[in-house]
Amino acid sequence: MPIYPKHSMKSRLGSVISLGIAALAMIYLSYSLPRLLPGDFVTAMYSSSQVTLNAQQEAEHRAYYTEEPGFSRYLLRLVRLDWGYSYAFLTPVSELFLSALPCTLLLLGTANIIAMFIGFITGVEAAWRRESPFEKGMVGGMTVLEGIPEISTGIILLVVFALNLQWFPAAGADTAYAEVSIWVRLATIGHHLVLPLATLVLAYFPGNFLLTRNSVMMVIKAPFVTTARAKGLPPRRIRYAHAARNALLPLVTRFGLRLAFMITGALVVEKIFSYPGLGTLLINAIQARDLPVIQAVVLFSSLIVLTIILCLEFAYRIIDPRIEHAH
Amino acid sequence: MRIGEKGFLWKFALLAALVTGILLSTGPLVFARVKEVRIADSKGDWGYPNPYRHYPRGPGYIRMSWVFDTLIWKDDKGYIPALAGKWTYDPKALSFTFELRKGVKWHDGRPFSSEDVVFTIDYFKKHPYTWVPMGSVAGAEARGKEKVVIKLNKPYAPFLADIGGVLPILPKHIWQNVIDPRKYNDPKAFIGCGPYKFMDFNKAKGTYLYEAFEEYYQGRPRADRLIYIKARNPIMTLSSGKADLANIKPDMAKTLRKKGMVILENARGWNKKLMINHKKSPFHDRRFRKALAHAINRQEIIEKAHRGFGSPASFGLLSPDHEFYNPNTPIYDPDPAGARRILESMGYVKGADGFYTRDGLALKTEVLASNITVAGESVADRDGEVIKRQLEGVGIRVDLVNMEQATADGRIKKWNFDVAISGHGGLLGDARILNQMILPKVTGSVNSTRFGANEELVKLLKAQIAEMDISKRKAIVFKIQEIYADEVPAISLYYPASMAAYNPKKGIRWYFTKGGISVGIPISQNKMSLVK
Repeated sequence: MPIYPKHSMKSRLGSVISLGIAALAMIYLSYSLPRLLPGDFVTAMYSSSQVTLNAQQEAEHRAYYTEEPGFSRYLLRLVRLDWGYSYAFLTPVSELFLSALPCTLLLLGTANIIAMFIGFITGVEAAWRRESPFEKGMVGGMTVLEGIPEISTGIILLVVFALNLQWFPAAGADTAYAEVSIWVRLATIGHHLVLPLATLVLAYFPGNFLLTRNSVMMVIKAPFVTTARAKGLPPRRIRYAHAARNALLPLVTRFGLRLAFMITGALVVEKIFSYPGLGTLLINAIQARDLPVIQAVVLFSSLIVLTIILCLEFAYRIIDPRIEHAH
Repeated sequence: MRIGEKGFLWKFALLAALVTGILLSTGPLVFARVKEVRIADSKGDWGYPNPYRHYPRGPGYIRMSWVFDTLIWKDDKGYIPALAGKWTYDPKALSFTFELRKGVKWHDGRPFSSEDVVFTIDYFKKHPYTWVPMGSVAGAEARGKEKVVIKLNKPYAPFLADIGGVLPILPKHIWQNVIDPRKYNDPKAFIGCGPYKFMDFNKAKGTYLYEAFEEYYQGRPRADRLIYIKARNPIMTLSSGKADLANIKPDMAKTLRKKGMVILENARGWNKKLMINHKKSPFHDRRFRKALAHAINRQEIIEKAHRGFGSPASFGLLSPDHEFYNPNTPIYDPDPAGARRILESMGYVKGADGFYTRDGLALKTEVLASNITVAGESVADRDGEVIKRQLEGVGIRVDLVNMEQATADGRIKKWNFDVAISGHGGLLGDARILNQMILPKVTGSVNSTRFGANEELVKLLKAQIAEMDISKRKAIVFKIQEIYADEVPAISLYYPASMAAYNPKKGIRWYFTKGGISVGIPISQNKMSLVK
């Protein structure tokens, strides 16, 4: 895929076509890969059951619950926006998917935005104050934090703030079936969001900080920054409108890719905090060998990646017009 | 104030004190009603709570049991009346007669009658519900509105355990026109006559909401709302008051007891088991299986992999807490020297490296391990590592393979394994579990040994199911345990300690059901806790 095309219209069309081909490949993979999983739905459901099946019952269950549509029929269904039915729930996959999506968007979207915003500001300030105690302290601290996996951060937060201090709830996205007003409910959702969100922000923020700081350091001595200083522009304007803007591309790429992996990105956090979302939906579907649900989540996840890559292509040109004329 | 009024007030106060005294003497909070009860579960999603849509695991059945009642039920002491107040068995007519309670209503207000029971029997015969084997049932007949006779086509000893106490009764007026019950998801599909009405199931969040059925025939349930929430850490959930009841790991008991929780420990009804591929050489040789049994030190597994929380299992499969347990079941003490002697008698020769070979081939086995689901909770352990070390200590080379449970189950089912660590419950329920876990024609469970090599064993298993005389049946089951232990088609390793904790402040007493709920579910969520 050409990153720096010669003619913008042609190159944009080229990007869209390449991504279209990639999307077709993804659709095929989303169909075929889950089928390579060993085991099947009936075995997964009944293996630890209190009841046992005889051969006839097992065959009948397998015929009833599982289906083999074939790739062409699968493709046709997708065109009609029909994602099939979950084996486990016998309800449309889209219904399951849409019920899990809001929590994922809320958690991952908020975490990414906060981590990007804080990472960007602190990164720019640290680069501007290079060699200062602030910069050294931040770099040291962020390097350590970057090395701590989400699972550790999550468990520490859980033990300190949920178990010992009991400031925040340990599990779930809200208090299930609480009979409260909408405002109290929103507050409860926010209250439940704090710990998983903090875990993700602490996981994403150090990388954003280090990336921004390094990028700004690269441009801070560039002639255009010197010119801006010579023109007597206010330091904040020099930092953000001149230096930081030119250092923004890597951060935007990172932000986009983080969003693209939002389904798998929060698996660990969803597990630790029993937070509902697409990651949990996917794990449960894999454990139950619920193929239509696995297919849908895998496909959605890969299409999101492609869409965000396409969006990034256009965003680059807006953020940095040099890309448009690179050749 | 007149004298008469004063006398009345005095008498009233005396009466009130008397009533209060009586209430307190029967125990505190006996008649307490609570707004809601919350139960925590680490998985959350167990399917929709009706017979055809719940997941075929214990937690799924329990979620359904709040909504649908059965003819009889169990509490911590044994069988108790449910929809049927009395029941009798007539051996000559091969039939059970159930006298139904009066005044029972469905959640939609329609009256319950014997016709519903007859319909349910017919419907489950036509549309099988895998929890209830209907093969022994010839049919049912209503004798008036409050009496039902269920006829058997052959003697079936576990009738009450498998059918009477498991079969959820369906409302005829709703299900009579339902052609495909598995796809029936109308709100009416959740109308039962149990103590709670089903209100909501959130699939993404794994939460369930039930509301008390005001007109429940055994009295209004004690909690207005029953809520299941998904939460992985019972210590935090219970101590923060987010849940009132949860399954716990044994090492959490001390902490939770300090926080004022009541700890429940179940009888030994769930066993970790080493499945052996007895269709494959050298595992097809009983001597080799016995060598394995002697090579494994089960107490060491409990100590090292479970911090001592558990007890070695009976080699005869039934739990020592079962009324049919045979105390004379053969035992294989840990005896590495004895195991080596057996191997050498089979022609194995120990090499300089300490491992056995025969005909130039190394004695090598693969131990398949995975996280096992116990009472709905996925449990990780180090059993495989300990067993590997023990077998290698005897001289058997071991490849330890850890796999995700569904993958491991798939391999066991297809006999694509040597030995595999598995496990199952039901060891406190009816002795039919022996047939389920031994007979060769069972295919759906990966925990069944599917062992048909011993004809006497197969014959006895079939005989015990048909023996209606309890003492005669007990004698047969004793013999089955002896033969099974002698054949060692699988090795029952240990019973892990199974615990739950609840907050007593709501005045509700939870307990583990005698023999397990329904077919033997080892979970302390008996609906009678919220009824009586």
